[in-house]
Amino acid sequence: MNNFIVKDLMVPLSEYATVQEGSTLFDAVLALEKAQEEFDYEHTPYHHRAVLILNKDKKVIGKLSQLGVLRAILPKNELIQQIEDISRFGFSTSLINSLREKYRLEESILDDIYKKAVRMKVEDYMQTPSEGEYVDEKTSIDTAMYQIVLGTHLSLIVTRGDKIVGLLRMSDVFAAVFHAMKSGELTE
Amino acid sequence: MRALEKLLDRIIQRVNINLRELGFDVTPYVRELIPRMQMFKFYAFYGITPHHPLNFQFTHSNLAGSYFLGKCRVTNSLLYKSDIRGDELKKKGAVFQFQQFEIQTTRDEQIDIEDSFLIKTLVHNFSHDPETLEKFFIKDTISMHYANIHGSPSDGCFMGPFSTVDLTTMHDCVIGAFSYIQAGEISHIKIDPGTVWVRSPDNFNFLYRYDNKLLNKYINLTAGNRPKGLLFDFVEDHKKDFERIFSLVNIETPRSIPGSASLDRYAVIKPHTNISENVLVAQRAYLENAWLGKGANAQENCYIINSRLEGYDITAHGGKIIEADLGKKVFVGFNSFLRGRPDARLTIGKDSIIMPHTIIDISDPLTIPPGHITWGLVTNKKDLETNSMPISEFSKIETRCSMGNMIFEGSGASFISAFRHRIDHILEANGAFFNGAENKGHAQKNQSISFNTIQPYPMGELKGLYPSIIIQP
Repeated sequence: MNNFIVKDLMVPLSEYATVQEGSTLFDAVLALEKAQEEFDYEHTPYHHRAVLILNKDKKVIGKLSQLGVLRAILPKNELIQQIEDISRFGFSTSLINSLREKYRLEESILDDIYKKAVRMKVEDYMQTPSEGEYVDEKTSIDTAMYQIVLGTHLSLIVTRGDKIVGLLRMSDVFAAVFHAMKSGELTE
Repeated sequence: MRALEKLLDRIIQRVNINLRELGFDVTPYVRELIPRMQMFKFYAFYGITPHHPLNFQFTHSNLAGSYFLGKCRVTNSLLYKSDIRGDELKKKGAVFQFQQFEIQTTRDEQIDIEDSFLIKTLVHNFSHDPETLEKFFIKDTISMHYANIHGSPSDGCFMGPFSTVDLTTMHDCVIGAFSYIQAGEISHIKIDPGTVWVRSPDNFNFLYRYDNKLLNKYINLTAGNRPKGLLFDFVEDHKKDFERIFSLVNIETPRSIPGSASLDRYAVIKPHTNISENVLVAQRAYLENAWLGKGANAQENCYIINSRLEGYDITAHGGKIIEADLGKKVFVGFNSFLRGRPDARLTIGKDSIIMPHTIIDISDPLTIPPGHITWGLVTNKKDLETNSMPISEFSKIETRCSMGNMIFEGSGASFISAFRHRIDHILEANGAFFNGAENKGHAQKNQSISFNTIQPYPMGELKGLYPSIIIQP
């Protein structure tokens, strides 16, 4: 673990789910499913949880996580907006949930979900990576861990010079840490 | 004149810097709002009484038509027809209770206004912030017409017309028109117009939000325009009566005022008004054909017209009561607008609470039974069904309640008890319970008050600015 660098644990870009700019949300979900099916789970038990968005030059311009997809499909009508506004005023989660339950029947999230998903463009919902989400492939895992923890990132985009070469997932770092703990237990 | 312009630019810039995170630019709201002529047309005045510390410091400011009482310091600010009423500031040695702490003040509290522009705003009460007990600060703040800054230190804020922030410290906030906030402390938040929010963490949380389309009829503010709407027009329509009062040096007190009552010389009293014992009528209050029973009060910017208040009624700052009959001990909250008609009177039963920023505007007679609490917009009996409740029922709420646009969470009993406690405190502070010897309050203490006036530079570079003045015993 001490000698691991980012490159050792990252998922290469070629194995990651990607879609082109201009794709729909549905395309992104299909790409994620395909990548999960084709992924080699021999070294890690964890699924992919995000799709990278590439521009026409194959450069990463954004990331759409599972959370991002769920956020994208939430209804955005005036009533829902009002409930979200109310949550700013210090009411309990239980009260806010009771309001959501009350109005849920008027528009369920899953109503016409396919029709919605083929209309939504990924770039409208993707997260543009911040400066703190990039890490060089030669960085030690220890240092990358600080970056993940302090920035509360689920993954870091791995670079080699100007090029993006892969993704360092929190789940893989966790797996390595867990493995190191178990090895320690055996040698004690 | 140039100095005045530079001062306004400086204030706008400072407020904008504070509000940049909210993306709010105050410039179009205030840049041309007050004609410069108005800002050197009116004198400022201050009260001297044996009951309040005499300590005024005015530096590089315009104070047109503003009133000062108590310990105040104004620096680099524009105060237009505002009331800075420091008669409830903490005295040296007073003990402030906050949670389990008892904190003693080390000197007399001071209202400290800096880099701010207050328009027809009332500043009253005392700082409830335990971190700044001796300084009730208002800094980098712009407040518009008939706003109330009540016991609420403020830094980097914009307050819309007829808004109130009550017992709440605020940092970098935008408070929409006709919103009432009492929440302890708020920061970096933009409150929509017509929001009534009363929160005591772990005790209760009350929220009512006006339908903006309906509120616009009463008050609305758009960039580049003066406030509009019925509330604003109503006040503007009565402006002439105040101009007369302010233009006279000496005004005789009507003989029919009892010795224990206080009628401010800057209040407008029209014929057929009755003032009973222990009544307090503050400056800029307007009474016309009004009957005020024992211990009732009318605070700043109140209008009581063709109405009868039986006694111990409170009309909080900015409350308006027209064509109405109020039983004993009715509380009418800040900026409420209660309007019956000559042929459709509004009746409010005794011991009722009209929440701050309530609008009751009816065209058919309406009766609110005794012991009810009422909030929001009521225009008929149907509205009353979703905007009112017996206080005894409200007190039974233990978890949550939602009616119309109102949401409540927490203990109804605590909420009502907090109101009751405050009502009693206001009556006591105003001298409603004075018995001829004990329980003196503002009604009795404010009788022995004299006023001095101060004027700005009449021309030149500094035209409109008041010279630096320190007034001390």
